[in-house]
Amino acid sequence: MAELGRAALVVAFGLIVYAAVAGGYATLRGRRRLLDSATNALFASLGAVAVAALVLVAALVRHDFSLVYVADHTSRELPLRYSISAFWGGQQGSLLLWLLVLTGMGSAAVALNRRLIRDVLPWTVPILGGIASFFAFMLVFVASPFTTGPAPADGVGLNPSLQNPYMMAHPPLLYLGYVGLTIPFAFAMAALASKRTDERWIVVTRRWTLASWAFLGFAILLGAKWAYEEVGWGGWYAWDPVENAALMPWLIATAFLHSVMVQEKKNMLRVWNVVLVTGAFALSLFGTFLTRSGVISSIHSFTQSSIGAWFLGFIAVVIAASIALILVRLPVLRSPTRLESLVSREAAFLYNNLFLVALALTVLWGVVYPLISEAVRGFAVTVGAPYYDFFAIAFGLPLVLLMGIGPLVAWRRASLRALGASLLWPTGVALFTGTLLLAAGAGSSPAGLIGYTFASFVLAAIVLEFARGTRARRSLGDEGWLGAFAGLVGRNRRRYGGYVVHAAIVLLLVGAVGIGGFGTEQQGKLAPGESVRVGSYDLTYLGSSQQRGANAVEMRGSFDVSRGGNELGPLSAGKNRYLAEQQVSNEVAIRSDWLRGEDLFVIVNQFNGDGSVFVKVLVNPLVNLIWLSGLVFVLGSLITMWPDAREQRRLARRFAYAPA
Amino acid sequence: MPRRRSPARLVVALSVAAALAVFLLYTSLAGGSTPSLRPSQLAAHSGTVSLAGVVLSPLRGDANEGGLRFRLRDVNGTRAVPVVYTGSVPDLFAVGRDVSVRGKVQNGIFVAERDSLVTKCPSKYAPDSKSKSS
Amino acid sequence: MDIPALILAVLLALVCVLFVARPFLREPAPEDDRLAQLSPRERERVRLAEERDRALAALKELEFDHRTGKISDADYRELVAPLRRQAAEALRALDPPRKKAHPKRDDVRA
Repeated sequence: MAELGRAALVVAFGLIVYAAVAGGYATLRGRRRLLDSATNALFASLGAVAVAALVLVAALVRHDFSLVYVADHTSRELPLRYSISAFWGGQQGSLLLWLLVLTGMGSAAVALNRRLIRDVLPWTVPILGGIASFFAFMLVFVASPFTTGPAPADGVGLNPSLQNPYMMAHPPLLYLGYVGLTIPFAFAMAALASKRTDERWIVVTRRWTLASWAFLGFAILLGAKWAYEEVGWGGWYAWDPVENAALMPWLIATAFLHSVMVQEKKNMLRVWNVVLVTGAFALSLFGTFLTRSGVISSIHSFTQSSIGAWFLGFIAVVIAASIALILVRLPVLRSPTRLESLVSREAAFLYNNLFLVALALTVLWGVVYPLISEAVRGFAVTVGAPYYDFFAIAFGLPLVLLMGIGPLVAWRRASLRALGASLLWPTGVALFTGTLLLAAGAGSSPAGLIGYTFASFVLAAIVLEFARGTRARRSLGDEGWLGAFAGLVGRNRRRYGGYVVHAAIVLLLVGAVGIGGFGTEQQGKLAPGESVRVGSYDLTYLGSSQQRGANAVEMRGSFDVSRGGNELGPLSAGKNRYLAEQQVSNEVAIRSDWLRGEDLFVIVNQFNGDGSVFVKVLVNPLVNLIWLSGLVFVLGSLITMWPDAREQRRLARRFAYAPA
Repeated sequence: MPRRRSPARLVVALSVAAALAVFLLYTSLAGGSTPSLRPSQLAAHSGTVSLAGVVLSPLRGDANEGGLRFRLRDVNGTRAVPVVYTGSVPDLFAVGRDVSVRGKVQNGIFVAERDSLVTKCPSKYAPDSKSKSS
Repeated sequence: MDIPALILAVLLALVCVLFVARPFLREPAPEDDRLAQLSPRERERVRLAEERDRALAALKELEFDHRTGKISDADYRELVAPLRRQAAEALRALDPPRKKAHPKRDDVRA
C-alpha cells in the first residue's frame, strides 16, 4: 500500500503546483475558467492528501513494518490509540499532517468565499497553492512517509513521553493553529496583489484568525500541562525553544487581532497589519522548522535532519516576497487617518501591540542567539530562564495593566476626567488587595506582589465593564438584570468575549505567579518509614513495588500524605521502563487541593538498592488556575467567534453595491 | 498635543529606544547567557560555563551522595574531561548519551552545579528530559 | 499488494484530472471567459460603504461609551456633532438623492 500513498502524494503535488501556476496565470490574464480549474485543483488536492493520510493511518494500525516510518514509531505492543497518534510522532508524518490541514483549511476558506475570491481576491488560490507546494515538494522528494525497507520483526516503538492523551491532542491542535494563520496571510497578500486597500480580507478571515489563535493558545497550554505532568520537573513552562516556537506566533497573532480592530474602526495601521500577519505566518513556519529540524540542540546537531535547510529557504522566500509586495503597494496602502491623541483607545491598542511585539522579539532573540553565537564564535551559549523571566515581567506587566485600562479609554480622544473616574474603583480594589496580600506575606516576591495587584486591577476593571454595560442596557428597556446581561453579551460578542479572554489571561497570570513566586520544595533521601515535611504537608515513604504494564515495567514508591495530623491519603510515584523503546520515563504524583488551591508534587529521582528512595517534593500554589484559564480562554474565544446574524446581514448590505 | 503631525511615529521610536535600553540594562547587569562548550574548548574559558559532550564509562559514585563521577568527551573528537556531579539524574542518562552540565573547572575537574544535568534526546521529536530545580 | 494499489492510484489520478478539467468541459465555448473585475466605480462604492459603516459604528460606540460613563457629557456633546455630520455625508455620498434610487443589480460587469 505504500505505493498508493506515494502515488497519492505525487498526484497531490501535481494538483497543487497546477493550482499555483495555472491560478497565477489565470489571475494575471483574467481567465475565468482557468481560475475555476485551478480552484478545483486545490479542492482535489485535499482528496489526494486525504488518501495518503488514510494509507498511513492504515499502515500504522496494522503495524505494517515494511514502511520505515511505521517501524520507527510503533511497536507490536503499542496501544492502538498511540499507534494512530504516531502519525504525527515523527517528521514525515507531521509534514503530512501540515499539508492535510493546509489543503483542508485552504479549500474550506476558498469554498466559503468562492464568489468573493473569483471577483475580488483571485490571487488567493495561487498563493495558497504556492505555500502548499512547498510541503508537497518536501513530502514527495525530501521526506516521504512512505519509504519502504526490509520489515523488522518489531518496531522501535513510540517515544514514551509521547504516550499520553496530551501528546495525542497537542500536535493536531497546534497545527490547526499554525496552519490556520496561513489563511489570513494568503488573503492579505491576495488583497495587496489585487491592489485592494479595503478591509474585506480582514472581515472574511476574522473567524479563521480567531479560531487559529484560539487553537494555538489552547495547544500551548495543553503542552504546558503535558510538561507539568509527564516531564514532571515541578514546573509548567521552561522557555524551551520548542515551547517558544509556538509562543512567538501566538504573541504576534494576539497583536494582530487587536490592531485589526483599529483598522476596522479607524482605517489606521493598514501597513502595520499586513506586516503583522506576515510575521505571524512566518513565525508559525519558523516554529515548525524549530521543532522539526533538530537545529535547536546545536548546529553541530545532536539530531540530524535534511529538512532544516529547505525550511529556512522557504521562510526566506516567503518573507522576501511579502516585503516586496508590501513595498510595491505602499503608496496605496498608507492609511489616510492619523493618530490624534496619545490617550485614546487607538493609542492603547498601539501600546499593546508594541509590548506584544517586543516580547515576541525578545523570545525570538533568546531562541536565535545561541545559534548565531555558534555560527559566529564557534561555541554555543545557552539562554536560560532568567533572561526570559526578566522580559516576561518587564513587558508582561505593562501589558496586563493595559488590559485593564484599555477598555476604559474612549476612541479618538479620551476625556481624562471620565477616565480617572472609571479607574477609581479598580485602582481602589487593586490597592486594597495588594495591601491585604502584603500583610499575608506576599512581599517575599515583589514581582509576584505587583503581578497580583495588577491582576486584581484588571479583574475589577472587567467586572466594572460588565456591570456598567448591563446597567446601561437595562436602563433602556424593560429587561431584568439577567436579560440585560445576556442581551449585552449577545449584541456585543466581540467586545465581551474579548473581556472574558482577558479574564483568562489574568487567571493565567495569577497561577503563574503563584507557582513561580510562592512555591516551596524539599529534596532528600527517605528510608521506608521516614517522612519529610514540605509546606504544611508531611510525606511518609512506605516502600516500593514493581509491576508489569501493557508495554512497560512500572516501578512505584508508595507514600502517605498528611497535614497537621490529618490523613490525606496515599500517593504513588516512580518510573516506567519501556521495553521496546528501552527508555525510562518519570511518573510523578500530583495531589491537587482545590480548596487551598495548591498542588503537592512528588518526584522519585532514584530507587536505591537498600530500599530507600531519593525524592523531590514541591508545593505549587495556585497552579490549577493555569489550567482553568485555558477553559476560560476557550469560552471567551467561542463567544467572540459566535456567528452573529445581524452582523452578517449588515455586511451583506454593505457589499450589495458590489458583486459578492 | 501635536495636531497635524502624527505622534504615532514618535511613540514607536521612543518605544524602540526604551526596549533597547531595557535590553542593554539587563544584559549588562545579569549576563543572561552562558557559553556552551565542548571539552576541547574548556581550556580557553574560565568561569561558569555549560559543558556538552558524550558520557564515557566508568560511572563512579552516587549523584545524590558524594557526587557522580564520569568523563565527558567531545561529541566529534577525543578530548575528554573528568566531571563530578550532584543532583537529580535524568532518566535518559547513560554511558554513550549526549548530555550537558553547568559548572566550572576546579583543580582540573569540572565541578557541576547541582541539578544542572540535561540529556539530549536522540530521537527526532521529543523534548529534552529535564531535571530542574524550579 | 501491488495491483490493487496501482488501480486505486490510477483511479485517483483520473478523478482529479476530470475534476480539474470540469470548467472547460462544462463550457467548451463560452461567450465570455473573462474574470470579473470590479470597475473603478464599484470599488469606489465599496469604499464609501465601508466609510458609512465606520461612521455609523463610531456613532453607536460613542453613545455606548457615553451611557457606560467613559465619556463625560461635555465631551459627548463635543464629539457627537462631527460624527453625525460624517455619517450623514457618507450616507449621502453613497446614495445621492436622485430619481434613480438603487443601482441595478446587473449594473455590475460580469
